[in-house]
Amino acid sequence: MNYMPPISLHDRLQAVFADALQIAAAQVTDDLAYRGIPEWNSVAHMALIAAIEDQFDIMIETDDVIDMSSFAKAKTIVENYVAP
Amino acid sequence: MAAIDGATGERLNYADLRARVDRFADRLRQRTKPLIFLLARNTAEGLAAYLSVLNAGGVVALIDADLAPSLLDRLVAAYQPDWIAGHAQPPSPDGYGEAGALDSLSLLRRRHAPEAAPIHPDLAVLLATSGSTGDPKFVRLSHRNLQANAEAIAQYLALTPDDRPITTLPFAYSYGLSVINSHLEAGATLLLTDNGVMQRSFWDLLAAEHATSLAGVPYTYQMLQRLRFDERDLPCLRTLTQAGGALDVTLTKTFADMAAARNWRFYVMYGQTEATARIAYVPPDRLAAKIGSIGIAIPGGTLSLDPESQELIYEGRNVMLGYAEGRADLARGDELGGRLRTGDLAAVDGDGFFRITGRLKRFVKLFGLRINLDQLERDLAEMGDRPVACIGDDSRIRVLVEGTSGPPSGMDRLVASRYRLHASAFAIDTVASLPRLSSGKVDYLALGARMR
Repeated sequence: MNYMPPISLHDRLQAVFADALQIAAAQVTDDLAYRGIPEWNSVAHMALIAAIEDQFDIMIETDDVIDMSSFAKAKTIVENYVAP
Repeated sequence: MAAIDGATGERLNYADLRARVDRFADRLRQRTKPLIFLLARNTAEGLAAYLSVLNAGGVVALIDADLAPSLLDRLVAAYQPDWIAGHAQPPSPDGYGEAGALDSLSLLRRRHAPEAAPIHPDLAVLLATSGSTGDPKFVRLSHRNLQANAEAIAQYLALTPDDRPITTLPFAYSYGLSVINSHLEAGATLLLTDNGVMQRSFWDLLAAEHATSLAGVPYTYQMLQRLRFDERDLPCLRTLTQAGGALDVTLTKTFADMAAARNWRFYVMYGQTEATARIAYVPPDRLAAKIGSIGIAIPGGTLSLDPESQELIYEGRNVMLGYAEGRADLARGDELGGRLRTGDLAAVDGDGFFRITGRLKRFVKLFGLRINLDQLERDLAEMGDRPVACIGDDSRIRVLVEGTSGPPSGMDRLVASRYRLHASAFAIDTVASLPRLSSGKVDYLALGARMR
């Protein structure tokens, strides 16, 4: 039987970003910034937050919503919620 | 203090602002009345540039700073502006060359004078009717329009030099511009930022500079609710205003209750770019009893209903001169005589408060942007040979493509990119056949009922 590595948080979050912002996964890099591309506007941001909450089954605090200014930041924030 | 620039930290008192406006105006003056395209952001220099054009006796077209270059080229071709000013160096359209700067704003100048009649002396500002879609249909506004609306707003909001509004809307959007004009009229302090409520820098500026008011379209209020606005420490906040489409009843009640509990004034308002910005407002002390109403006319204005059609008619000095579709139209004067048919259907109650009941024209307002459903249909019909019908309300658009196979590929991308709409704001479906009237036209009433 082949060993299947667990899907990393990075990969899961990247997929959520790509889906919510309707961009290619390859575009989702650490320096991808809120309002840095037309697709990541305030409307998409609300959809993105909802999608992350759904996907990771978490409730994101207000302070974290307004701090989620890049993909790198989002990873750090989501890690804090899902850390065992 | 006139303005504080949140990005640079620069502080301008009214004398500083005047000096900068005079300096910029000297740069822009020319033999004939100039037209300047300003790709405007909420910055001290953007503000000074806007005022300097008015000061120089020119016309300023306020253009969404994020407009795609191809759409900007289209507007440039239609209006042949004498100058193009922007925060970033815009790519030079054909016939334009670099012409120095207004401090950090770059300037492009047209090489040859436009071949058109001179611009009408009353014209001062051009605003887009549909935000960021690049539609060349503009509203023509005079100094008198701007002054009348600024005075009326300052009066009913009881603005004073102690007011400190933080910008939440684009400069080029009539509501955003009305916040700027009315507060300058009152001698207040503008807290200028292009950052929004979803960014920490916005809240830092609001707290550090003691913002007293903010303005929002319905979507802003949805975001504020998600951000648990009611739990925020906002000791300086006194006033909230809302316009740019109908706020749903539940959200209106939520914010009305919040405002009552925290001693804020919450103004639900109604307006159109065609009336410079503001037409009506609900006095905050009547809001609880008048949820769902657009209120009463602003000071100096009058609302009435067309006895035949029930269309809402507004009369006042802030009613635009007329529309423009290109440079030649800028020679035209006042075509409406202060009377605007709003295109909205309304009813009035015993207290004289108006309520919107429907719309004559087929457009929706999504996220403060006006989208013409007929125009959207025409755009989408170009994608293929299948009939397309669009219906919707101020929360969502539905696109129906006739046929049995799925929607044409790429249609969702076209809607998303051209109209800057997120996927959650529209849906594309196929229907075997669109209901039609005997004339062959799509029966939108039947279609709407079927989709409900």
